[in-house]
Amino acid sequence: MTHTKSLFSKIIQNIDLTFYISIAYLLFIGITAIYSASSNLENPTKYITTQFIALSIGAVGMLFLAGFSYQYYKHFSKFVYILSCILLVSVLIFGTQHKGTKGWFDLPFFSFQPVEITKIMLILSLAAYIDKHWNEISKLSIFVKTLCLTLGHFVLIMLQPDFSSTLSYFPITLILLYVAGARLTHLCAVVLYGALAVLIPLLVTFFKLQPELLESNKLVNFFVTASTNWHKAIIILGVIILIMILIKWFLNKLRIPIGWAYPIIFLSIILAGSFSSIVVNKSLKEYQRKRLIVFLKPEIDSRGAGYNIIQSKIAIGSGKFSGKKFFKGTQTQLGFLPEQRTDFIFSVIGEEGGYVLAQLTILFYFLFIWRALVVAKHARDRFGSLVAMGIATMFAFYAIINLGMVMGLMPVTGLPLLLLSYGGSSMLSSMFAIGILISIHIRRFY
Amino acid sequence: MSWSTDNRFAYNLFSEKHKVIVILLMVCFAVLSMRLFYMQIIKGNYYRNISEHQRINTTHERAFRGLIYDTNGKVIVNNIPNYVALFYPFEQQYEPTEESIEKLSKILQKDIKSSIEKSWRYGRVMKLADNLTIDEVFKIQENKLFLPGITVVEEPKRVCSSPIENAHVIGYVNELRAEELDNMENTELKVGDIIGRCGIEQSYDKYLRGKDGGLSFEVNARGQHQKTFDYEPPAIGNSLYLTIDNDLQKIAYNALRNSSSGKGAAVAIDVKTGAIKAFVSCPSYDLNKISSAKDYKRYLKNKKLPFFNRCIQALYPPGSTFKIVTFVAALEHLHFNPYKVEDCLGKFELGDRVYSCSSKAGHRKLNLISAMAYSCNVYFYILGLDLGVRVIVDYAKKFRLGEKTGIDIYSEKAGFVPTPEWKKSKMKVPWLKGDTVILSIGQGALWVTPLQMASLMATVANNGVSYKPYFVEEIKDSVTKETVFKHTPVKNEDLELDPNTWKQLHKALESAVDYGTAKRTKFKHISVAAKTGTAENPQGEDHAWVVAYAPADNPQIALAVIVENGGFGGSVSVPVAREIFKKYFNIYEEPEEELNGGTNDTH
Repeated sequence: MTHTKSLFSKIIQNIDLTFYISIAYLLFIGITAIYSASSNLENPTKYITTQFIALSIGAVGMLFLAGFSYQYYKHFSKFVYILSCILLVSVLIFGTQHKGTKGWFDLPFFSFQPVEITKIMLILSLAAYIDKHWNEISKLSIFVKTLCLTLGHFVLIMLQPDFSSTLSYFPITLILLYVAGARLTHLCAVVLYGALAVLIPLLVTFFKLQPELLESNKLVNFFVTASTNWHKAIIILGVIILIMILIKWFLNKLRIPIGWAYPIIFLSIILAGSFSSIVVNKSLKEYQRKRLIVFLKPEIDSRGAGYNIIQSKIAIGSGKFSGKKFFKGTQTQLGFLPEQRTDFIFSVIGEEGGYVLAQLTILFYFLFIWRALVVAKHARDRFGSLVAMGIATMFAFYAIINLGMVMGLMPVTGLPLLLLSYGGSSMLSSMFAIGILISIHIRRFY
Repeated sequence: MSWSTDNRFAYNLFSEKHKVIVILLMVCFAVLSMRLFYMQIIKGNYYRNISEHQRINTTHERAFRGLIYDTNGKVIVNNIPNYVALFYPFEQQYEPTEESIEKLSKILQKDIKSSIEKSWRYGRVMKLADNLTIDEVFKIQENKLFLPGITVVEEPKRVCSSPIENAHVIGYVNELRAEELDNMENTELKVGDIIGRCGIEQSYDKYLRGKDGGLSFEVNARGQHQKTFDYEPPAIGNSLYLTIDNDLQKIAYNALRNSSSGKGAAVAIDVKTGAIKAFVSCPSYDLNKISSAKDYKRYLKNKKLPFFNRCIQALYPPGSTFKIVTFVAALEHLHFNPYKVEDCLGKFELGDRVYSCSSKAGHRKLNLISAMAYSCNVYFYILGLDLGVRVIVDYAKKFRLGEKTGIDIYSEKAGFVPTPEWKKSKMKVPWLKGDTVILSIGQGALWVTPLQMASLMATVANNGVSYKPYFVEEIKDSVTKETVFKHTPVKNEDLELDPNTWKQLHKALESAVDYGTAKRTKFKHISVAAKTGTAENPQGEDHAWVVAYAPADNPQIALAVIVENGGFGGSVSVPVAREIFKKYFNIYEEPEEELNGGTNDTH
């Protein structure tokens, strides 16, 4: 009993005010913006009611998870991973389809997206696995096994298919491996492979949208046609091999000996990346590829894929310093701004709240993630640090991708702004994640 | 495993990597913040404009340009309705359908596809065709069901009552193009606005242009009408009251067109105010038929240059009309005795060159007055040599040759008076006495416009007092009839000469009408003073000049007429001047006085 009491007083004494104020601000501004963006509807409170319910359930869950010792996740990590896989498999069997994605459980009062919960379960599993193999993390086998844990989820989610939800898995996995001390060469190889696989089809799509550029620039034209022409692709590969042999020869002259292993691995990564790009090209639909690349130049498809970005930029920019005031933003209220309650909620804040509130939102989001990273640093053990790090990375990745997207710096990926965007499942999972963070934080002293 | 039980080294490694991640996070959020600052603070106005622009849609009602009246209060430029087919974008449809374009092309019997591609702008009203006939309007209305979003509206079109005669005074109007707007400081205008291109329409554009009106309303993203802001009726521009006389314009234009070459210009100025009474350049173009590109090209290709405003843009040597300047210089500078007699043998030798007179046989004994009346060159060659180039140039400049008259329409040329310095720097040869000789009879590199010569003649008629020439007497608000602007004569610097000089000059100019080269302007009841000129033209036939004023005893009007490549001034230009005087003074049916002899060459 005395033990519980001292814990409670410790929590009160060492409460992280910045962390809680940031969360409170983000939740408040999010719900205000959702309400403002719904004021034209027949039932303007419909969305915030749902959001409030999700928030309340999430808050209860958060309190529960905060009180629950995170150590249990480590002990039952295999069970957590298997449960998450069962969830993902069962949604493929029993789930219902929304907008072409079979990723929802339709329950009597609400529908629920298991992928939002499984991403936290994956963080827990990864953290447990890495913690267990901390000293062998520089081994390639452990590195690959860790990747395989992620890949299992990735494959199951791509079967739905839900491309955007899988995006955050890679940065989370890579960051966890990085802080655990994985070899940089391993990490770079994975990044290079992923970049090649994704960028080749996207760049080809981008240049094909600008036929005048293809006509004027011979070199670009050559590379673009190489993506479908074997002969040209072999020529490019030959040139790369030649350059690598030259570099090796040159380094040998400088008496820097390099084994044959590195160039061969490098070349095989390039080849594997290029071949995977064909798979990626096939699995991504034309409109998805366009959406992913059109942010570089929204004007080339201003009525199609570029429309959302153009309207979002207009909405944010036109807010100027003080904004158009809530319920009065023309972009939001007249429907020019797409997806205004979900992915583009920040554009509503930018337009109606102006620079003041938008900058404050970015600032508080930064403070929130920063405090989450501080939780990782102050955690009592490695597992706590890794879990907090994974959760912080998840929030940071979603925020950077979403904010970048609405301001025209990043592709349109359909990632929500966690804690602000409308969406019950993501609100629940965000609150659960915060609950786990609190659990790690309040147990840091013993 | 707990950090505390683990070794310190591993934790330090972790916290170093942790630091890298915190820095990475800070960089990302700093970039996002800077982007936000850039979009909202630096580019805020740009985005605000776009958001307002796509929110507010307007129907555009074009304002009528103001009317233009002549000096007698007769309307010379008016507006008539022109039917235009427009496409209004509406819900779910941003451009006219293929079928409706085809249908409309069928009705109009021309392809409108290309013009649609040119004028398409996201969610904006676009013009499909204009100058529709009533028949076409009815056909479009009948097929309204098959032409979704297409409507016919009325737009004003400019018409001129004497479109050919007044073309160079009034000037034409057309739509402002996008590339022109980029070079303009006036941001009130927008692409497609009607603006004046030359003449009065151009120089008084801001008075004539009305204020466009229309309905402005808010639309949502689907183009649905949300709420109406306001309706602003178009406001007609101000009316202009000109100094020119439409009837006089017609007479002058016909006289020029019927002259030997049909090319030339005539300018008549009120000597007491500088008001321009007639201003015609021949050949001219039809103001009412200039709107189509086809007509425009046809006029541009015409070798006779109908767009060329000969009154102010053409430069001619003044020929013998310049003798007025030499005459004045001699009396003023040399205190020359006008009754000094010289013997003209038909030619004048200077060094090894021979300068001929207008009469091959020679005029024999002449004094200054009769030399002026008969336009004897030899007498003026001698005067010119006595005066020297500097004095002649000095007096030419006193008569404001070589400078713009400052008339209230654009693109006036200044003309040119040569000087020895100019010749030295330009031709790399010194000024010779021979140059002075030909300068004294208005040849050489001396260039004047017909307007300058008319203005010079007004100065002579008024004994040195002259006014800046102008077209617009008054500008009135078209609705309230309140005067917006009233012209007050602008006096030029007086040309102060000895009264006797003016007396002798008037006498000489009257003599030219009385018995000299300008006999054909003689009337019974009104005395005219005139000077003819035949300007040598190295490219072809000589230009025929006449400058005159009347009545000689109390001058009212001064004029200058040139018939390009017309031949002799007295026989070609003088009849034009006669027609103008006849109309101006309302002299009807008075036959030309019998010509005595008439064998004299007229210079």
